[in-house]
Formats: sequence, structure tokens, C-alpha cells
Amino acid sequence: MRHHYWEWPIASYLFLGGLGGGIYFLAMIFSFNVLPSYQEVGWVFAWPGFIGLLCLGFGCFLLVFELGQPGVFYRCFIKSTSIICWGARLLSVCLIFGFFWFLSYLPLGGFAEFMAFFRPFNLILAGVSGLGIMLYTGLMFSTLKSHAFWATPALPVLFTVSALSTACAAVTLSIGWWPAESTVNNLVVATYISEVLHMIDIILVIAEIIILLLYVLSLVGAGNVTAKKVADRWVKGKTAPIFWGLMVGCGLVLPLIMYIVGAGTVAATFIAPWIVLLSGLLLRFLFVYSDDRRAIPGEEHYYNKLPKGDEAFMTRWEYGKNEF
Amino acid sequence: MTRYVMVIDQRRCIGCHSCTVACRTWNKLPMDIVYNPVVSDGVQGTWPNVHRNWLPTLCMHCEKPACVPACPTGASQQDEDGTVWIDYTKCMACKVCVNACPYGMRDQSKVEPRLHRFVRKCTFCRERRKMDPEAVPYCVQTCHQKARIFGDLDDPNSEVSKLIGSVETVRLMEDLGTGPQIYYIPDLGGRR
Repeated sequence: MRHHYWEWPIASYLFLGGLGGGIYFLAMIFSFNVLPSYQEVGWVFAWPGFIGLLCLGFGCFLLVFELGQPGVFYRCFIKSTSIICWGARLLSVCLIFGFFWFLSYLPLGGFAEFMAFFRPFNLILAGVSGLGIMLYTGLMFSTLKSHAFWATPALPVLFTVSALSTACAAVTLSIGWWPAESTVNNLVVATYISEVLHMIDIILVIAEIIILLLYVLSLVGAGNVTAKKVADRWVKGKTAPIFWGLMVGCGLVLPLIMYIVGAGTVAATFIAPWIVLLSGLLLRFLFVYSDDRRAIPGEEHYYNKLPKGDEAFMTRWEYGKNEF
Repeated sequence: MTRYVMVIDQRRCIGCHSCTVACRTWNKLPMDIVYNPVVSDGVQGTWPNVHRNWLPTLCMHCEKPACVPACPTGASQQDEDGTVWIDYTKCMACKVCVNACPYGMRDQSKVEPRLHRFVRKCTFCRERRKMDPEAVPYCVQTCHQKARIFGDLDDPNSEVSKLIGSVETVRLMEDLGTGPQIYYIPDLGGRR
């Protein structure tokens, strides 16, 4: 039966968190592993880094907005046994050190020069915590074993691949903008990184298609009753048009074709990355709204017998008026 | 040590929902929250051999609750006697515990004002028991069929210990490994 408590802010937050974390992870990899001797990498990644900060910041805002008690949100850092607690810590580290890293590229005179000294340190912390955020979003859902459709080890893999893919798309769209100057070196490095990310995203989109199909189809065949019910809904039920049409067809296969066939055209450099971003968001929505849990015997019968269409009556109740 | 459990004798339950109403009244619950619904699969069998099974539910106060470690603020807690409860001064209502509970026994009101939407659950009437150590949860006190029996499982002379030792009992979704502390004496078709 449905067990719906998390709404659109959570789905959006999962997407934005993974995207922001992925951008910092890519910035770290390109700065230290792919082009370690090129100072320009940091400059061309500065604007994507700012986009990453916006995503993380807005994601955190949505997360707090969704809380029933937003005034005590700071308590989420307290208990280490909770995976949400680790997520909050990783988000904070990525936001703080990502912000410091971005500051060092702004025209702030001596302050920026001072911050430039800590660039490698800040980027490593932001990049590693970014990787943690990508992993954590899926991991958090996979630990909720009351939801059979979420509680599989493949979910963190799927969310991580999707987060990295959306991060590649976002970087491709925004690389080399302000505060990077329009020099030949910056242009060459930005173009090179875009080409590499283009290739990486092709691999990631293929991987995402394979993992997603294996995930859903294996649950159709071998999932328990609850997981199978959701998977059936995705494959041949009322979610099927969204899953096959929007998610797999338009969201993954179409940009893959654009990436491969239309290399160098607007379709591959502009339209396909936007589609990848939207499909990443859709993936989170599909999962968050597939929140079925195993019912206690008789529970579905009980809740289905509750009167429908009495919402007006239910909401007319006023707080504090039922006290005796 | 004390370990509070509840035995629910389905053979005695007539589905009057008194426990539900008593709980709602005692805890002053909002319209859309029920801590202990009495559910049923409906009438089974063919007339005249018909039979209806009632399943009174509530928080299972699990031995290894999934909700307590999932809570990031430490608001979800478990007493030494096994009672699982929520400290409202710490709860930020992130609803991760609601999603972690495999029994769906935690809830958040949608009709209360925005800043009063804590996550709520049955606490075996913890406050009531704190005021009076001899008191039992209100649903137990209200059940005129004596279908709900509350007590200390570690006390060999308690009614719950004797019942669990002498009658076959079942627990819901034991395969999940949470160790639910609500024991059901199933109604296999006959009445006591």
C-alpha cells in the first residue's frame, strides 16, 4: 500500500544534491587527475562550481522547507547512526569548502590571492564530500527497508550514475563562463573538458539505461510482493507511459542518440544536456512517489473503507477545538 | 529488567474500536491520526460458516526498532523498558522515521497548523505510566473484552509471560528482524 509522506521538495533535493556534489567531484578529478598541470581548469570550472553551490543551497532550502519543524533543522547533525545526519554533514562540508574554493576565483584582490593558497585543500574537501553526497542520496533510500522498491543495493549505484551524468551535463552547459577570462588557453581547456565530458556522459547514460532497466525488470521478475507491485506499475501499469516514454525514451535514449549522432551540433552540446538534467529530476520524482510499503493483513481493506470525498469535512477540524 | 510487551488476543476482539476511540481521546489526537487502528480483512467464509478476524494494531515497540537509529536528531528514543517514544523538543519532523517504520505506525498530521506537525506515535501511554506506575495504556484499560493485555515479559508471574509461555503467539513481519513486542494470539476460527 502507498505510504506517502515525502513530497516534491525531497525529490528535487535528491536531484539538486547529487548534481551539486557531482559538479565538485568532477572539478576535483579534472584538476588533480585529468589536467593536473593546467591552472586554467580551476578557472573554467569556477562558474560550474557556482552553479553547484546554487544547487546545493537550494536543495538544502527545500530540505528545510519540507520539515515539519524547520526551526530546529540544526539538530540533524547530532546523531551519527542516522544516514541523514551524515548527508547533512557532507552537504555542509561541500557547501562551505566549495564556497571558499569559488571565492578564490572572484576579483577580490588580496583576499582572493589569500584564498588561492587553500584552493587544493578546499577543492579536495568539496570534491570528496560531493562524491559522498552522490552516494548518500541513494544510500539513504536503500536503507529504508520498509519500502521494498527502494531497499536494494542497486539504488545507490543508479542514483550515483545519474548524479554524475547530470553533473557532466551541467558542466558542459556552463563551463568557461565568468569569472574565467576569454583567453585562448581557457578556451582550449574548456573545449577539451567539454569533449571529454561528452564522451563520459555517453558512457554514463548507457550505464544508467542498463542499470535502470535491470533494476526495474529484475524486481518485476524476482521482487517480493510489494516491490513487484511497484515494478509492474512502472513496466505495464499507470506509470508505464512516464517510465517508458519520458524516462527511458525521451530522457535517456533520445539524448544518447543526440550525443552520438549529432556530435558538435546544438543538439549534442545544448539540447541533450538539458534533457539529461530533466531526466535526472524525473528519475528522483519517480522513485520518491513509488513509496509503497508492505501492508499489515487487513490494513488496505481498512483504509479503503474510509469515506472518500470527505476532505472538506476533515480539513474543517480546527486545531485545539477537540480538547475536552 | 523490565520489558513491556502487549499481548493481543484476537479470539476476544470483537472489533468495537473502543481502544481506538479511547486512545484518540486520551492523546487528544488530530482528526487524521490514529495510533491503533483495528483492521480486518473483512468477512471470510461462506454463509452460514462465516467468520471475521480483527487485528488491533499499534506501534510494535520493536526490540530493534528501525525508526530510532534512522532519526538524525535523537528525538526517537527507546527506554530501557523497551518503550519507543518521541521527544518533541528534539523532533524536526523530517519523516525519515515514518518511512523507516515497516509497520506504518508513525504518522504526521496534515490538518494541524504547519508548525505543530510533529511525527506522532503510540508510546504505550508513557506519560500516563510515569504519573502512575500501576497504570496500563488507555487502550488496555478500555478494552472490555480484555483482548489487550499489557505487562512485563521479564516478570515470570506477569499475565503476559504466562500467556506467551502457554499459548501459541505470532508477531507481525518477524522476518524483518526488528523484534516486534506485540504478540498476537490468533483467532483460528473459533471463539473463546
